[in-house]
Amino acid sequence: MRTQIQRRTYGSAGLLIALLAISAGLALVRPNFLTVANGVNLIRQISINGILAVGVTYVLLTGGVDLSLGSLVALAGVVAAHCAHPGQAPVVTPVLAGVAVGAACGAASGAVVTRGKVAPFVVTLGMMTVARGLALVLSGGRPVSNLSREFTWMGSGDIAGLPYPALILAAVAVASHIVLQKMRLGRYLYAVGGNERAALASGIDAAAIKLFAYTVCGGLAGLAGVVLASRITTGQPNAGVGYELDAIAAAVIGGTSLAGGVGGVGGAILGALLMGVINNGLDLLNVSSYYQQIVKGLIIVGAVLLDRRQGEAS
Amino acid sequence: MRKIAAMGMALALALAGCRQRTATPERKQLRIGVSLLNLSSEFIVMLHQAMERKARELGVELVVNDAQRSAEKQVQQVENFVAQRVDAIILNPCEVDASSPAVDRAIAAGIPIVNVNSETRSAPTAFVGSRDEESARLAMEFIAQRLHGRGNVVMMHGYMGQAAQLKRDQGAREVLAKYPNLKLLAHQSAEWDRAKAIALMENWIQAYPDRIDAVFAQNDEMGMGAVIALEQAKKKDKVVVASVDAIADALQAVKDGRLDATVFQDARGQGEAAVETAVKIIKRQPFQKEVYLPFRLVTKENLSEFLK
Repeated sequence: MRTQIQRRTYGSAGLLIALLAISAGLALVRPNFLTVANGVNLIRQISINGILAVGVTYVLLTGGVDLSLGSLVALAGVVAAHCAHPGQAPVVTPVLAGVAVGAACGAASGAVVTRGKVAPFVVTLGMMTVARGLALVLSGGRPVSNLSREFTWMGSGDIAGLPYPALILAAVAVASHIVLQKMRLGRYLYAVGGNERAALASGIDAAAIKLFAYTVCGGLAGLAGVVLASRITTGQPNAGVGYELDAIAAAVIGGTSLAGGVGGVGGAILGALLMGVINNGLDLLNVSSYYQQIVKGLIIVGAVLLDRRQGEAS
Repeated sequence: MRKIAAMGMALALALAGCRQRTATPERKQLRIGVSLLNLSSEFIVMLHQAMERKARELGVELVVNDAQRSAEKQVQQVENFVAQRVDAIILNPCEVDASSPAVDRAIAAGIPIVNVNSETRSAPTAFVGSRDEESARLAMEFIAQRLHGRGNVVMMHGYMGQAAQLKRDQGAREVLAKYPNLKLLAHQSAEWDRAKAIALMENWIQAYPDRIDAVFAQNDEMGMGAVIALEQAKKKDKVVVASVDAIADALQAVKDGRLDATVFQDARGQGEAAVETAVKIIKRQPFQKEVYLPFRLVTKENLSEFLK
């Protein structure tokens, strides 16, 4: 039995095996799966879900959940797009505006969860509707288009073949890994999620820690919204529907526990990667749209099953 | 369950009764209840604006509800309209079958109901819309002309099973059948969504390197997604892209030479005709039971007619 304070992550070996097995299978059937160009595709395609999955990991670690992510993506995208018309402002303005609005919504959810003692499920469900409504109000129900080239370049450009969205995901992942694994703040997050009473007894300000988690999660959702708006070259008020479930799925596939206290950034990235490989592979194989959904669901559950078996055996 | 339903029904009836008694017999302004598919879709917003404009012009009041894509919500909204004894109902159906009870309720209550933009299984008093097959036919015919009837086409579907997806699929396939050398290389759903369409196009570029000659996307959002992915891969100049709806973004893209063609669906015409038809029915004037507004292909050549 380990102490509660210790950071726990599942050994992601099983997941890695599943990922490699599926990739190897795909490469055998479709040689163009293993091309550099497709690899670039893949990391670009997982970047938004990856950023969201890393963000929601903070909240999941505290034993909470955030259902508002998809709406925050839309809201941040609309806000960013409003500041990103050509010649309006330097490109950092829409990026910061999007992140700020996401973080503000996240902080609001966090405040109600901690101060109001309302279940995170309910609070963030409310935020999901409020943020979606705000996105619709701010855009008048229409996509906000005519965005500057500098802004859309973020979604489509690359440095030495590495797409910007993937670089942003990498930066987010590395920073979050450091926060969660190397800093005292990270240890407190695991402690609060593992056993809140014990954490409180050892002098940790659980409310402040949770508020921090929701704020970071919201801010990262805002960042994902900015990246999405830049990638699709519009701010769409109805973008991001269901993204929260993909993000939570990626985190959970990667070994983060819905009960809190267990998980990490590496798992979230692996989870997002597995979901991306499945999507990409099914398209390459030209599997019919009907069957794609069934296959996706089965592979996700299968991968987690395999991972948990591995975890028990070791 | 039964009991609650019965109680609800009694309550609704009681409320309806109250309304009737309190309503002044010579109420001057006509009231039309409107239930819209989804007010967060650009096309429906345009439809709504056209209706409001026409209603102001004709001096009728619109009570507008947003069904948010839920047929169940839509049926409830129409039930409320019936309870309020509006003079007519305009229904922009969410689904062919699931929205049918809304039409049945209105007809049973003797309130005229006009379906706009898409159909229900139950027959309404009148229908105003366009034939969705035709939009796909126009776009695919454009592709066939541009490729001189020879080449590989990929198609992006909307949400599988929705009326618009089924009909646009049907229209596209009718044209494909006419051109034996036009091959449908692959077809997948990108769920009307631009981000999903970008990913799908990226994957297709990998799966069929340099073999795709044209893309038909069943709406402009997906068409724009295909354009973005092709531009990113520096292959746009070799691939023809056509899509449907003529949203503002797509018109701009046609102007900039990025999107090759879109198809204009007359939201304004549909919205106005729906209100006009409803008012004619209320006033017992002769009206057309089915009003079809034509689709029109938009290319760089005739673009100026569609840019506002």
